[in-house]
Amino acid sequence: MGLIQRLAEEAGICTISMGNDAERMAKIKPPRALHVKFARGSMLGEPGHVKRQRRIILDALAALKTIHVPGTIQELPYQWKRPDPN
Amino acid sequence: MPIDLDKFKPAYDKWVEESMPDYLAGNVKEVIKKYPLIVSGDVPWTAYSGSPSEQTFAIVTSGGFYLKDRQPPFDTVSIHGDPSFREIPRTVRPDELGIAHAHYDHSLAEQDINVIFPIQRFIELERENIVGRVADTHYSFSYVNDAVSLVAETVPKLISRVKAAKVDVLFMVPV
Repeated sequence: MGLIQRLAEEAGICTISMGNDAERMAKIKPPRALHVKFARGSMLGEPGHVKRQRRIILDALAALKTIHVPGTIQELPYQWKRPDPN
Repeated sequence: MPIDLDKFKPAYDKWVEESMPDYLAGNVKEVIKKYPLIVSGDVPWTAYSGSPSEQTFAIVTSGGFYLKDRQPPFDTVSIHGDPSFREIPRTVRPDELGIAHAHYDHSLAEQDINVIFPIQRFIELERENIVGRVADTHYSFSYVNDAVSLVAETVPKLISRVKAAKVDVLFMVPV
């Protein structure tokens, strides 16, 4: 996915991606990304957790505006089955 | 180029040969660890401008989704993976989607596709005018190692479709 993202950015399309493996992300160098602490296969958290899924997308929309340095990976604070921070 | 195919190709061919025993034994972690990723130091960049409420968004997932009644599933057997993608309409119902991807646990996505393909959340945000428009078409990849086909064929096709659909931002969710 990181490679597809890089090619899209190179072609002039703005992107934001997610990832859960900081080491792998450091190798792939996505142009603009959010790092979450969720397991493989569930990047937006627990199934049915509508509020959290929505919040992550809102975080992504905000990150589009605040990330100005190529290769920035923003850490998100959410944890599996724990309440969201305020 | 974010990837040098002339350098990558021989390293990839060697990796296929050396990784086959691990791949056949299901040691996917080992296989991934040895993958000859070649990316340049530079990070490609398209600056963001404007406001989400006036823009069009499309999702790219690597969840291995396909439309069960009219699209073929991805190849889940080959060590090369499957470099193709499937176009998923925004109107899709979760029960219309199959998952063809041998290297993650599907159970969470089967409970709620939004965990890796958050189409319903995006449509809600469109209704609230937080995002301007959710594109008519979204894109699913699956497990893929064959970066040569990806770079040379599939991604150029994806990019031309995304541009034709006047998508401003891709939201990209791997598994």
